[in-house]
Amino acid sequence: MTTGPSLKFLEFVGGRAIGFFGSLGRYFTLVWWMIRNAYNARENPRVVFHQMVQIGNDSIPIVVFVSAFVGMVTAVQSDHQLYDWIPRTVVGSLVIKSVLLELTPLLTALVLAGKVGATITAEIGSMRVTEQIDALEALGFDSISYLVTPRVVAGVVMFPVLIVFGDLVALLGGLFGAVTVTHISAGAFVNGMKSSFAIWDALFGIIKATFFGYTITSIACFQGYYVEGGSEGVGKATMATVVFACLAVVVMDFLIASLLL
Amino acid sequence: MISIRDIRKSFGEKQVLHGVSFDVRDKETMVVLGKSGCGKSVLLKMVIGMMKPDAGSIEVDGKDIAALSYPDLRRLRFRFGFLFQGAALFDSMTVAENISLPMYRHAEYRESDIRERVRFALSLVGLEHAEHLMPSSLSGGMKKRAGLARALASAPRYMLYDEPTTGLDLETADGINRLINDLRTKLGVTSILVTHDLRSAFLVGDRFAILDQGRTLMTGTREEIQKSKNEDVQKYISSSLSTSGGTLP
Repeated sequence: MTTGPSLKFLEFVGGRAIGFFGSLGRYFTLVWWMIRNAYNARENPRVVFHQMVQIGNDSIPIVVFVSAFVGMVTAVQSDHQLYDWIPRTVVGSLVIKSVLLELTPLLTALVLAGKVGATITAEIGSMRVTEQIDALEALGFDSISYLVTPRVVAGVVMFPVLIVFGDLVALLGGLFGAVTVTHISAGAFVNGMKSSFAIWDALFGIIKATFFGYTITSIACFQGYYVEGGSEGVGKATMATVVFACLAVVVMDFLIASLLL
Repeated sequence: MISIRDIRKSFGEKQVLHGVSFDVRDKETMVVLGKSGCGKSVLLKMVIGMMKPDAGSIEVDGKDIAALSYPDLRRLRFRFGFLFQGAALFDSMTVAENISLPMYRHAEYRESDIRERVRFALSLVGLEHAEHLMPSSLSGGMKKRAGLARALASAPRYMLYDEPTTGLDLETADGINRLINDLRTKLGVTSILVTHDLRSAFLVGDRFAILDQGRTLMTGTREEIQKSKNEDVQKYISSSLSTSGGTLP
């Protein structure tokens, strides 16, 4: 006969599994609705533009800050790891490869999962708990096409732009770090970058950014759209967005690298 | 005309509505009375298809809401104005933007028409000065009035009011009640108003439906309700009177 604690354990595991698959089902239902009714989003071009500004323009300072330091630290650590007999032009090669393929897309996405993801969930979530989403529906709007689709479209469009911008800043940061801290000449660093530059590396980062943009914004919208439990619920959903978006980004990072490299 | 027939609704294992039925005639204000949590707001959301009943039917102008496709449902919603309990103003927009938002979706409205309609809606609710204010700077009563202006701006045929006077002081609540009556007189809208406030209900209602334990206890005019011999109805009136200060208008 099943004992008390093991029954409770089974209940716990079963409850969590049902909760997880239930959430997954609701997420895909939301995405399906968004795709099926994407045509309705044409009614709200100003909202799409506004979201592109909010996600893109407003994220530039944090992307510049993170990317600059990513570039600098990559240059310094690359130099640190090289044997003395290896020519220092290799530092430029290492920086450009690391920055374009991995560091800028991944670290920028993780930072934006916090900034953009949390903002979206808090915005939509507070609209849910104050009946503003119900009000949109009552006024004849398709609330998903008005709130979710523009944010996801803006994420998919603006994340690659931000990553390209971040790549440029990170490379400049790498140059600055190499010249000021490790005392490599600018010429040697740039020559190293030129010798290793491949357009595919930049494209790979852009492809990743597109997926990251979709993942972060769709998770954030989902968490906000289905908030329950008032302002406390909004807080929990915002935290869940940051956690799940970061986890999804690192998993997706691995999957894309495995498939495309 | 709105016809509500034997509506049932459960949330999980909790059954909220056990069979609610009543009709709302053209140009009348039907007040749905009942204690908090008895499913009044749920019923209101079902009328515009924001929630689906488990059983029963709701017909608006002869059309079954449950049978409508989503595009048809959205079109039907243009005929409705909805005043939410907390007004539900979009807090990132000014009062004027809140009111004009739904009109930008109609191709027939020009910019000048929209501005004119916004001003007209604000004048109806006495908020001419609040056009450029943000919802966060409005008082509770002003928010309700702004919400009402938004609901009215598209000239709806039907108005749905969810607890329009809850959370307001007596004077402000009376102001909202007067406004609801004025709007019916001036615009001739058909309304459903849900409330647990008997005093406000008698100020604005033509007919009343009392919900108790998820069922329609009685429908009728004020006189019919007050003269009813049904013990549960009398019990409801006396308990509502004690919470509303013991006086009726």
